[in-house]
Amino acid sequence: MQETIFLPLIIALPLLGFVVLGLFGKHFKEPVAGWLASSLVLGSFLLGLYLLFQGGARWTLLDWLPGIPFSFNLDNLSGVMLLVVTGVGFLIHVWAIGYMHGDPGYSRFFSYFNLFIAAMLVLVLGDSLPVVFIGWEGVGLASYLLIGFWYNQRVNADSARKAFIVNRIGDLGFLLAMGLLWKMFGTLSISELVQKVEAGGYNPAALTLAGLLLLIGAMGKSAQVPLMVWLPDAMAGPTPVSALIHAATMVTAGVYLLVRHAFMLHGDACLSGLIVVIGLITAIYGALASLGQWDIKRIVAYTTLSQLGFMFVAVGVGAYWVAIFHIVTHAFFKALMFMTSGSVIHALGGEQDVRQMGGMRKYLPSTHIHGVVATLASGGLIPLAGFWSKDAILAYSFAYGPLLWALMMIASVLAALYSVRWYVLVFWGDYRGKEHPHESPPVMLWPNHILMVGAAGAGFMGLPYVIDYQNFLNPFLTPAIGDFALEKLPVLTEWILIIVSAVVAAVTLWWGFGFYQQKAPPWLERFQVWALEGFYADALFNTILVNPARSLAGVLLDADRGILAGFTGLGSLVGGLGRLLASLQTGALRLYMVGLMIALVLLLGWGVLR
Amino acid sequence: MSVGIWEIVALVLLVITAIAVVRLQNAVHAALALIANFLVVAGVYVALEARFVAMIQIIVYAGAIVVLFLFVIMLLSAASASMGKDLFPRLPWVAGLGAVGLAGVLLLALSHFQPPASPPPLQGGLPQVLGPLLYDPQQWLYALLLVGFLLLVATVAAVVLIEPERIASQPGPEAPKDEPGVAER
Amino acid sequence: MIWLFASALLFAIGTYGALTRRTAILVFLSVELMLNAAALALIGFAQLMGSLDAQVVVLFIIAIAAAEVAVGLGLIVAIFRRRETTSVDELRQLRG
Repeated sequence: MQETIFLPLIIALPLLGFVVLGLFGKHFKEPVAGWLASSLVLGSFLLGLYLLFQGGARWTLLDWLPGIPFSFNLDNLSGVMLLVVTGVGFLIHVWAIGYMHGDPGYSRFFSYFNLFIAAMLVLVLGDSLPVVFIGWEGVGLASYLLIGFWYNQRVNADSARKAFIVNRIGDLGFLLAMGLLWKMFGTLSISELVQKVEAGGYNPAALTLAGLLLLIGAMGKSAQVPLMVWLPDAMAGPTPVSALIHAATMVTAGVYLLVRHAFMLHGDACLSGLIVVIGLITAIYGALASLGQWDIKRIVAYTTLSQLGFMFVAVGVGAYWVAIFHIVTHAFFKALMFMTSGSVIHALGGEQDVRQMGGMRKYLPSTHIHGVVATLASGGLIPLAGFWSKDAILAYSFAYGPLLWALMMIASVLAALYSVRWYVLVFWGDYRGKEHPHESPPVMLWPNHILMVGAAGAGFMGLPYVIDYQNFLNPFLTPAIGDFALEKLPVLTEWILIIVSAVVAAVTLWWGFGFYQQKAPPWLERFQVWALEGFYADALFNTILVNPARSLAGVLLDADRGILAGFTGLGSLVGGLGRLLASLQTGALRLYMVGLMIALVLLLGWGVLR
Repeated sequence: MSVGIWEIVALVLLVITAIAVVRLQNAVHAALALIANFLVVAGVYVALEARFVAMIQIIVYAGAIVVLFLFVIMLLSAASASMGKDLFPRLPWVAGLGAVGLAGVLLLALSHFQPPASPPPLQGGLPQVLGPLLYDPQQWLYALLLVGFLLLVATVAAVVLIEPERIASQPGPEAPKDEPGVAER
Repeated sequence: MIWLFASALLFAIGTYGALTRRTAILVFLSVELMLNAAALALIGFAQLMGSLDAQVVVLFIIAIAAAEVAVGLGLIVAIFRRRETTSVDELRQLRG
């Protein structure tokens, strides 16, 4: 652990890209802006990798605020996140060079994209909570800017606002948590908080409250039920945005935050139970809603919700390293899934309705292979990445309680179903659209090739202990998260769970592959109508929150108008009085003098006779 | 306080000349009546132990100011007061009534005045009495200087006002005779 | 005392003149009469109260009247050059 100026440099590189592209973007020819942005992110990646091999790094600016240092901390946990953010981020940058081709806001897009990377790195590397909060808000801002990237369409701007406003709720939780922690411990540095919490001598209920507030923050950012409504609408942004921000990195920030504060959560059964319940509901809700979507990006968005629920469950059962493990594998296969979707959209000239797709395996052979790998990884087929991380979550769920395991098993069956549904609707059957599809350029294919390798192989860094007693990831993360030794399941149970999980996933994938090629039965169609609307979560929110607020605003507006009418009435009253008096001003000098004289007589008379 | 013959004569003269000022149709005659009035007032001033003021009254008021009036009346050939239709034909009645009322109220007010039994002597109001007052910084010196400055400003203003080229070159609006301004509503 | 009554009469007569005269110059003349009445009242009071200050104030009144006449007549001349009239009834542009 060394003090080094290179650490803030990691953040400064993409920030530089943001400034340069933001200010001088017009002077860059089209591919140059994209390559510049991408290479800066690659620079961050390499620098971060180097520092991580050095054994981590710290950088501190003392007394940034009174008593609060401006500090960054690169340990193994933030290192993993950093590599995911910059590594996957770099690939998506490169892919976006092809995807955003010909867009009038080309430089602006990459400027925002670099801003996002910089803010995300601040979030990940920040050691004191206010620094994390800067990153937290920064990614929110970048997300807002990028969702509303094509702002000249009303629906995009509305979606951007929706994401921003819903995230405010979570941000409020974060802010309150910071205030509470400051009040309790007098420090906001995470590394110091760890020691203070270990030392004890605080009110445990207050710590639970702080954890709950942090959880609310994490729920907003990671789109957990009931703050999930913004994520599907966030798909209004360009597809690279969805892949990078709303699948691979930003939405996992909430999970990362909770893992960072594992020292506050692990002893708190109540709070952990709440996290499990939230995660479970989100996992099942997202999976079910995904099954009814027709917009290819919304399908993937709801699957992301579901996978985020898995991560929350992992946090809740205390398997923090598994949550990070799932973040990593999910980043690979979900980014791959999104970018495959994006390649299809690109091939079809912007078509996003899966009912207008189909048969893409003939037209887009390379993209088809990406799609196969993404589907199988997401569906959890052994031995792809998704299987290992999901299986680890399932195993720890079983240790938490067999009922949770059963429910999570249902969720993972649904996960396999939505993956294969996506795959079949896009790549099988006959082509149902009109646009002539064309395969993506190499600049879009190569990032997908690399992600495909990741989606296939990333799971091997976190094998279960029965296969690989000391896997790579768990001991690597332990010093950063804290050593919360979990009870290991018996070997036989573990094996049974692995086999059940693998078989169920494989069977579901196979069954779904056949099922979705047939015509949908009527009960499914009824279900899909429900699911298409996300089970009317938006309508519910509109009824219980938005409409009352709107009515209140209407009442206030009326009151405002009433007050305003009073003022204008007063104004016109004065004006009328003025006109009345103005008619006295005839301009006839002698009449004025008559008035003067009468007044003089009256005043003098009053004075004399009084 | 006795009312002698000279007081009665002066009072009658004052009222007659004043009425002449306000009633004579010929403006030159009115101005001449004003001079007569001022001269009578100057005489009254002498009787009231204000001799320096009386001299100034004759020299400045009757001598300079009213002569200025005469010049302007003749310059503008406005000697004859007859002009267009009278817009307010009943105004003289109102004015007469008002004047009577005003005089009544003023006389009533003055009748309440109780002068002190033995006022300090005025020493005839001679220049050697007023001079120390006028030039004493504790008394009226600064007021005197200010009045002098005011006269200077007034002189400059009068010159600027009637400078012919300036008036001619001013693009000022050819104000319509009796048209109401349209812009102000 | 009688001169105070005289000044009241002069003032009322001057007011009447200012109201009935229609030529600006003659209105002005009437105003001078009123001013003079005020000066006469001051001198009367000065004699009754034995105050020299009142006489000084009358001197100032005369001086200020001179200034007033200079500016007022200048205005009348300027107006006459533009409008060819000095009738206060016809000069009615300044109205509400």
